[in-house]
Amino acid sequence: MSTEPEAREAAEVMARYCRGDAAAFHRLYALLAARILAYLTGLLGDRAAAEDMLQLTFLKVHEARSTYVLGANPIPWIYTIAHRTCLDEIRKRKRSRVRLSKDGEPAAEPAAHITGVAADVHPDPADHPDRSAAAGALAALAKLPDNQRQALILTKVHGRSVADAAMITGSTPGAIKQRAHRAYVTLRQVLGRKEVA
Amino acid sequence: MTDQGKDFDDRVLGPATGVGAKPPAPSADLLRAVEGMKPVRTRRRFGAVAVVALVGLVGPVIALVRGPYRRDLSGLPVGWVIAASALWCAAFAVSLIAALVPRRGDVLPAPSRASRVAAAAIAALGLFALFATVDVPGVSMLPAERGWTLFDSCLHCIGTVAKVAVVFLFVGLLALRRLVPVGGSRVGMALGAAGGAMGGLLLVFICPFATTAHVVLAHVGGVALAAAAGAILMRVTAGPAIAFALLGLALASGC
Repeated sequence: MSTEPEAREAAEVMARYCRGDAAAFHRLYALLAARILAYLTGLLGDRAAAEDMLQLTFLKVHEARSTYVLGANPIPWIYTIAHRTCLDEIRKRKRSRVRLSKDGEPAAEPAAHITGVAADVHPDPADHPDRSAAAGALAALAKLPDNQRQALILTKVHGRSVADAAMITGSTPGAIKQRAHRAYVTLRQVLGRKEVA
Repeated sequence: MTDQGKDFDDRVLGPATGVGAKPPAPSADLLRAVEGMKPVRTRRRFGAVAVVALVGLVGPVIALVRGPYRRDLSGLPVGWVIAASALWCAAFAVSLIAALVPRRGDVLPAPSRASRVAAAAIAALGLFALFATVDVPGVSMLPAERGWTLFDSCLHCIGTVAKVAVVFLFVGLLALRRLVPVGGSRVGMALGAAGGAMGGLLLVFICPFATTAHVVLAHVGGVALAAAAGAILMRVTAGPAIAFALLGLALASGC
């Protein structure tokens, strides 16, 4: 997914952005927002929160643009900022208090699938076979440990190199390979058996 | 088909995680920030390393110029002095570069490379200290001559290593602020190792104790401790305020 021409274009756009060209920001956003959103959605499992994190990520990129190195590929860097923003959000969620209803029970919150479809909407799998497969994959992904999910999403879904994925997650290439492999084996067990059944 | 189950089509992972979904337009806050932006001066690959090295080297250079040097320095083999200095200097340089200089085409220094390089540098220093430490019989000093135990002499030299390393750590932390959002502890380890190695280089010329046990435990051990301190600091520091507080604490405690 990360090709040389794409990296070159991103670097060129980022350079113009650093020179104060607002149009370059919009080009960079058009180039990367969709995949950063998908990455955040994969990590958070919540499309609405991922959209908020996407805005925050680009705001942080804007504030940190002076730390960019001219000529460098900005894509892994922006993924790294998104990753960190997401980790902060996950920590914040863990720290946040549980909201209780009047009778002391946790308040029900509207849930949504990672794809943005409300949880109480059950599409007919016969009408949307891909959606049903995606829902199965999503459920299996959600069960993976965080670090395995990150490694798998970065390498298998977003096509980042192992070195890029290691930099984005602050890990080592060896650990990324191992985590992605473990995640893949788990998914193969879960989803493969389902397909056989 | 494997014994673990039928293989699955990994193309479903893309749609499952929302790949291809249309992103929302930039928010009003973001657009406002972009509209009012001015050109910025970007970072240079070697900018941070130059600043950190320049600031960090001030103390060791002053100490080397002022002396006093170890009393057995003139009796040591010149080749050994050159080799030891080159090794400590190389350990300093490679650790500092690994901590602060991104690879060509990257924006961020690679954390895994930084920790690997620092670990290799410490191992090389350890082996050199273990197998190639030399002394001048009758001239090189033993801790007992000062009425010190090995532990006392180690504490003294670790203090010297720490004094040098703390400056590198502090300036490095500031240089890396907002730059290494993840994997900071690995980068901090390399930064600490670099500062420690510079302290060790200084000790090659000023430390009067030349026993293998002292050099391994105090000089190389000091580097390892500085690396560990760097890893912990980079993990816990949330900003320059904490970095300043840590520096103040270190200076106040006479480190």
